[in-house]
Amino acid sequence: MRIFVQKITGLLLFLLILSFISFCLLQLVPGDPVRSMLRVDDVAVTDDQIQQMREQLGLDQSVFVQYGYWLQNLFSLDLGNSYMTGRPVFIEFIEKIPYTLMLTGTSLLVMIMISLPLGILSALYRGRMTDHLSRIFALIGSSIPSFWLGLLLIDLFAVKLRILPSMGEGSWQHLILPSITLGIAMSAVYVRLIRASILESSHQEFIRSARARGVGKQRIFTFHLMRHSLIPLLTVFSESIGSLLGGTVVIEVLFAYPGLGKWIVDAITARDYPIIQGYMLFMSIFIVLLNMIVEWSYRYINPAIAIDPRKKGVTS
Amino acid sequence: MSLSIGLRYSFLTLFLLFLIVALVWTPYDPYQIQMGDRLQTSSAIHWLGTDHLGRDLLSRIMEGARTTVGISLAILFVSLLIGVPFGLLSGYIGGWLDKAFKKIIDAFMTLPDYIFALILTGLLGPGLVNLIFAITAVKWVSYARLVRSIVLEQRQKDYVRLAEISGMKPWKLVVKHILPHTIGNLLVLATLDIGKIILMIASLSYIGLGPQPPSPEWGAMLSEGKTYFQTAPHLMIFPGLCIVITVLLTNSWGDFLRDRYDVHIQSHSAKRSMSSILFRKGV
Amino acid sequence: MLSIRGLTVHHQLQTLVHPLDLQLHRGEWLALAGESGSGKTLTSLAIGGLLSADLHAHGSIQLEGKELLHLSEPEFRHIRGREIAYVFQDYQSAFTPFITIGKQMDEMIRAHTSLSRQQRQHSCLAHLEQVELPAKPVYNSYPFELSGGQLQRAAIATALLLSPKVLIADEPTTALDSLTSRSIIQLIQRIQQETGIAILWITHDLRQVQRTADTLLIMKSGQVVESGKSHSIFFHPTHPYTVQLLSSIPKLPSRYRLELQNKQVNT
Repeated sequence: MRIFVQKITGLLLFLLILSFISFCLLQLVPGDPVRSMLRVDDVAVTDDQIQQMREQLGLDQSVFVQYGYWLQNLFSLDLGNSYMTGRPVFIEFIEKIPYTLMLTGTSLLVMIMISLPLGILSALYRGRMTDHLSRIFALIGSSIPSFWLGLLLIDLFAVKLRILPSMGEGSWQHLILPSITLGIAMSAVYVRLIRASILESSHQEFIRSARARGVGKQRIFTFHLMRHSLIPLLTVFSESIGSLLGGTVVIEVLFAYPGLGKWIVDAITARDYPIIQGYMLFMSIFIVLLNMIVEWSYRYINPAIAIDPRKKGVTS
Repeated sequence: MSLSIGLRYSFLTLFLLFLIVALVWTPYDPYQIQMGDRLQTSSAIHWLGTDHLGRDLLSRIMEGARTTVGISLAILFVSLLIGVPFGLLSGYIGGWLDKAFKKIIDAFMTLPDYIFALILTGLLGPGLVNLIFAITAVKWVSYARLVRSIVLEQRQKDYVRLAEISGMKPWKLVVKHILPHTIGNLLVLATLDIGKIILMIASLSYIGLGPQPPSPEWGAMLSEGKTYFQTAPHLMIFPGLCIVITVLLTNSWGDFLRDRYDVHIQSHSAKRSMSSILFRKGV
Repeated sequence: MLSIRGLTVHHQLQTLVHPLDLQLHRGEWLALAGESGSGKTLTSLAIGGLLSADLHAHGSIQLEGKELLHLSEPEFRHIRGREIAYVFQDYQSAFTPFITIGKQMDEMIRAHTSLSRQQRQHSCLAHLEQVELPAKPVYNSYPFELSGGQLQRAAIATALLLSPKVLIADEPTTALDSLTSRSIIQLIQRIQQETGIAILWITHDLRQVQRTADTLLIMKSGQVVESGKSHSIFFHPTHPYTVQLLSSIPKLPSRYRLELQNKQVNT
């Protein structure tokens, strides 16, 4: 819990600085949000209208005043309304979360289904054909732009074979191609990690102790070795949750999937600043929260964390 | 092993040759629009075909190589230029500077690279310069962090203490004795990063935040080509392949150098937390 | 009971253990002594078929007339733990860190027998009591919650769970402080008196086994340089290396020391 508070305060400080910079940048950037906003309605815009809109949004005041307002509203989770839809940023953010989480979850599933067997096999048969193949897979997998892989998959499954939908959302079939694309892209790293972790664990002396007790090979592998290998993997995983969410952005755009990623890219294209700022803030908190959840799950795998190390020794 | 080293060197040489040629010559003007020749497939005249505006794809890919590789090297260079001195200072001087720096690092680490760069380009608006600025702003941190950790590690060594005691000037000590220790690690991290940066540029410009048309960039070319990929798949395949080959080359070189210098950049933090978790024993 | 003839251990072309003979009888305490790298641990691992894949053992190892070296891995599994049990030096690695002691003891019984749950738990608790541990709490705790001495006791209890015929103890007290290690030795002595188990005790420190060992086997660079009844070796070492080992013992009773000094003068 202390770590959580530390993380959050550090993050808030960072966001404060970043949001202020972003406010200053807004003054410098070309392109007027008000114009782009009014242009959405596609009618001739008069200068009066623009001026009126500016006042309405408070854009006519100085940066510092605007920033003050923004901070004030922040505490009531009110980050203003989207220029595009006129709806509160926070509500829109919350609405998009399930989509992205769903996509992330299914991609993780694909990732595990690919990388776990490949990683185990290449650890068991290290230096042999399987190992070399998985190395090549990992190397190529980490060199392919995920969106390009996605385009190739769309071409094959949606255009040529016509068995899967390519775009949008609505049925479980819509999730297949995006998840496979992301899953493959992610598993490249994990195949090698799993392999290394298993090899590292197999040299642990407690494995020999279990063998000396006559415990069966399969049981040692699943109950002793694999579980031990999972611990560093979880650490790496919790550290890379952020980049995992980063990876969903381009995939969501590619597949026109209405999650957080497409939302922010659309907002950027439309210069919808309340959304950009809100996204920055909520996304950081969201990632920290997800990190906490993963770290929490450690204790089920490694009870050494859950139990206070000071309470050592069983007194008789 | 020697075969793969030979292959690695020859691929690198080929790639560099391609880049050098692309710097001085392209078969056609990459910006020349020929609406009569649009969406042609490979032929003797246009080796890789033409795009939706009739521009020669090979010429555009060569021009794009300059942009893509050029941008990523520029980002790398600036990141090193900012990150290394920062890491050296923070690690060597310590105190409040280091504490403040650690806070900055932690904050940077919470937001993933890609999202951070995305937000920055979003705020600044799309374009080449903004893209470079945004990715550099994200990337320099990892170099500063790496250098800082090496400095902290080396400072504990006896030879540094000896040099300090014998009255060596701090800047001389840092440059002459500590800096050389960072080179192997920096080389590996930088090589692996070229690929990552290229992928990041490509994916940001695919979204539409990169260099604006008509200037060719591989990711942006993919974005343009996507509209036509049923009728003219070559528009999508060739730029994509170029990205894959380039990143593959830098990644395999990075792996090779990492084995060679025996450094563990990625696993640094993971290793530490793993052992601290595992070996926190109740003795 | 355990009879080893001409055992060798190879790594590729290198011979790590030269032909070694060893006889271990019921109720006997045999100490295999030598410096690190002398091949004593390799010998002990070869008996249980625990050598890593790149090491090869040849010769003959018989347990009550049954040849062990030609056993397949699944057959060997049934010998290990049930007939030959191990206690290792690194007590922290005696148990897998994230599984409770009880579960690991239970797992071992299940690997070899088909006892019921109650029977298994009863046996585990009884054995933990035998090694003078608070049975119930230890049964439910994770390895990292115990102290070094407690862990090594738990490891001994686990080794004795299925009443093996031979206990191979590979420097079980080296990593412990001297008080704890003495109490561990006393514990094993007591258990041997109660059960008549044969003990192969591996150590680099002769001082430890001075009073407990019946038979001594001194190894150096993979070769047995001296063997025999321990008191006769303590009094009349023949090989210079043994003399050296003995003289490195700091506190010998004065009558031994005199003997030794005479010996060194003579050679």
